[in-house]
Amino acid sequence: MQGGVVLDMSGMNRILEIDIENQQVIVEPGLVAETLNLAIKPLGFFFPPDPGSLAMCTIGGMIANNSSGMRSVKYGTVRNYVLDLEVVLADGRVVHTGSKVLKSSAGYDLTRLFVGSEGTLGIITSAGLKVAPLPAARKLVLASFPEAEIAGRSIVEIFSRGITPSACEILDRTTIAVLKMCEPHLALPADGDVILFEVDGTAASTEETAAQIRDACLPLARSVRIASCREEMEEIWAARRLVGAAISKLDPAKTRIYMGEDVGVPIKQIPALIRKVQQISSKLDIPAMKYGHIGDGNLHVALFIDIRDESQWDKLRLAADRIHRAALDLGGTVSSEHGIGLARADLLPEQAGSEAFSLMQSIKKALDPQGILNPGKMGL
Amino acid sequence: MDIDLSAIDQCARCGTCRAYCPVFAELGWESANARGRLMILQGLQNGLKGGMQDGMQGSLQADPCVQDSLNTCTTCGICTENCPAGINPPRLIEMGRRELVLSGRISREQETLRDHILRSGNTFGETADRLSWLSDRRLPEKADYVYFAGCMNSYRYTETAARTFDLLSRFGTTMLPNEQCCGSPLLRMGFDAGRLMQENCRQIERIGAHTMITGCAGCYTTLKNDYSPQFRVLSATEFLDERIQEMQQRQERKIKRLDIAVTYHDPCHLGRHNNIYDPPRRVIESICRLVEMKSAKKDARCCGGGGGVRAGYKDLSLQMARRRLLDVPEGVDYIVTSCPLCIRNLRDAGSKVRVIDLVDLVAMAAVE
Repeated sequence: MQGGVVLDMSGMNRILEIDIENQQVIVEPGLVAETLNLAIKPLGFFFPPDPGSLAMCTIGGMIANNSSGMRSVKYGTVRNYVLDLEVVLADGRVVHTGSKVLKSSAGYDLTRLFVGSEGTLGIITSAGLKVAPLPAARKLVLASFPEAEIAGRSIVEIFSRGITPSACEILDRTTIAVLKMCEPHLALPADGDVILFEVDGTAASTEETAAQIRDACLPLARSVRIASCREEMEEIWAARRLVGAAISKLDPAKTRIYMGEDVGVPIKQIPALIRKVQQISSKLDIPAMKYGHIGDGNLHVALFIDIRDESQWDKLRLAADRIHRAALDLGGTVSSEHGIGLARADLLPEQAGSEAFSLMQSIKKALDPQGILNPGKMGL
Repeated sequence: MDIDLSAIDQCARCGTCRAYCPVFAELGWESANARGRLMILQGLQNGLKGGMQDGMQGSLQADPCVQDSLNTCTTCGICTENCPAGINPPRLIEMGRRELVLSGRISREQETLRDHILRSGNTFGETADRLSWLSDRRLPEKADYVYFAGCMNSYRYTETAARTFDLLSRFGTTMLPNEQCCGSPLLRMGFDAGRLMQENCRQIERIGAHTMITGCAGCYTTLKNDYSPQFRVLSATEFLDERIQEMQQRQERKIKRLDIAVTYHDPCHLGRHNNIYDPPRRVIESICRLVEMKSAKKDARCCGGGGGVRAGYKDLSLQMARRRLLDVPEGVDYIVTSCPLCIRNLRDAGSKVRVIDLVDLVAMAAVE
């Protein structure tokens, strides 16, 4: 984009109100999510959406992209927590999209329209958010599987038994190798593709659910164990949060490129998606780490190349395109939580369908007739 | 420009450095964190190649904003410590600064500091005798150990220099008769320090010492990592750690326990850059109670005093020091550290708790 203006909202980073009786907060968009959590933790609450980038992502960015992260399998996405937005529209009007009420059947749901709109419809200047009580206990189950596809099957099995983990993350063996190199002391199984199941609740309920998950995984897994203590659990999560960018530690000549990195499919299609990604990666000879929030069908594929080699860029673009199309063929999405932006703009009409996309264009035109807000993003 | 771009290429733009960079915490601009600085380095490289490329690969000219971006890094290394891709941004930033200097883009403050050092051999441009604090103390011509006092202790904290020398002289220590600035400020800002380094090396060889001991974190990292490895380099904290038990057992100036509590501020160039975390803590714990700061060891927040930032951006530097002081635990009697630059910055930022050198604490505990 040339000649535009970047609106950096990070200076608007105050917590305007903590209303614990109503389990709500009102914050400005530049507030970093972790700062919010640190502020409400002493009150026994947290803001559940938990992207790996919690320490640096802002609430405004999370709302604009409807981000979610590791705990969305149980807690849902940002959209589930936004009650009200103050938005400056393209013509300068300031609107509120909701209020403090938890439910309302009055009119169109403008809040949900603005969540995930990537700055194309207005500028968010404050947000009223729901927060949730911190669980009393958490447990982590580590299960290792002979291959990622079988790991995917275990997810289907767990859900079909009515178990809902609070996080459910897959780490394939390439990802495990990177993690082990970054944090050699981590006791991660090295014999396969790993799923981390986290459960939260009371001490008794987590004990019981962790045991149920272990039992469900045993017939499919090479090994299953429950993390020994809270410290081990926290270390594993900390390493997991940053693994996406860590590939360069394994091979300094390679850089992780965020293309084809955020596909999602219905849960029962996960094994098929994993199989398809493996085929694409090996056919094009592009190494890939596969990790992500597999509990909600969201697979992060980290493709890494030598960025000085133009031929590898060509292969990368091809691989990303095939991964996107594989997800669409399985009834999925080209982006589960990172958004469309420019990089996937050409895929949105295909995913949404021409009529739905045309409706999006009409909404954009109604709210921003001159196309001054984040022009070109989402293909709008 | 000859910057190792392959290391910059490893940056996945994840933004983890935004969460840690102490300069970014104060300034808030993307150009004031490691990710932004690496993009700027890439732009400079492209600019000098004369090519315009797409998007983030675009070219940049070294205007004052670019200089500010690179020169406001304290090289504290907390980005290196936390970078998931394993990049060492301060190393790249120092390379970029070197290129700026070579192309004549030097700020007035940098120029003044450089001229002081090159003219007088110290950062202050002082013409007085560097060793005047020695008073009537004798310097052996030959010794195994050399105490390298550094500019700050030689001219500003002379009591600490004298105390350090008195502690070390019992173990066969001398000093360079014509000690020159170690070169750290020049190197951190991108200048050449070869002449000073050669002069110091020449004197070390003449004395025949096998070990250099210094109480300045900046001197330590420079002597250890920028000089040729012909001698061992110890920080005063390591030396004290090695000898404290011996000092506790002897008859004269025996080290006694003090009924006080102190906290320890990790100087970045001792801690993250050289992994010296435990020796000062062991020394403190053998003397009194240690209460850790809110962030400590590899996570310790920078005081803002290093990397040429204090010289070029004093307000920013003191702003960072004030934030560091928020990490001081309640009820401690002293903030102890092992770097005169940190001492100066924390004191100048208005610390209500007295800031002292580890050597000062040891001297306090030494009974006549």
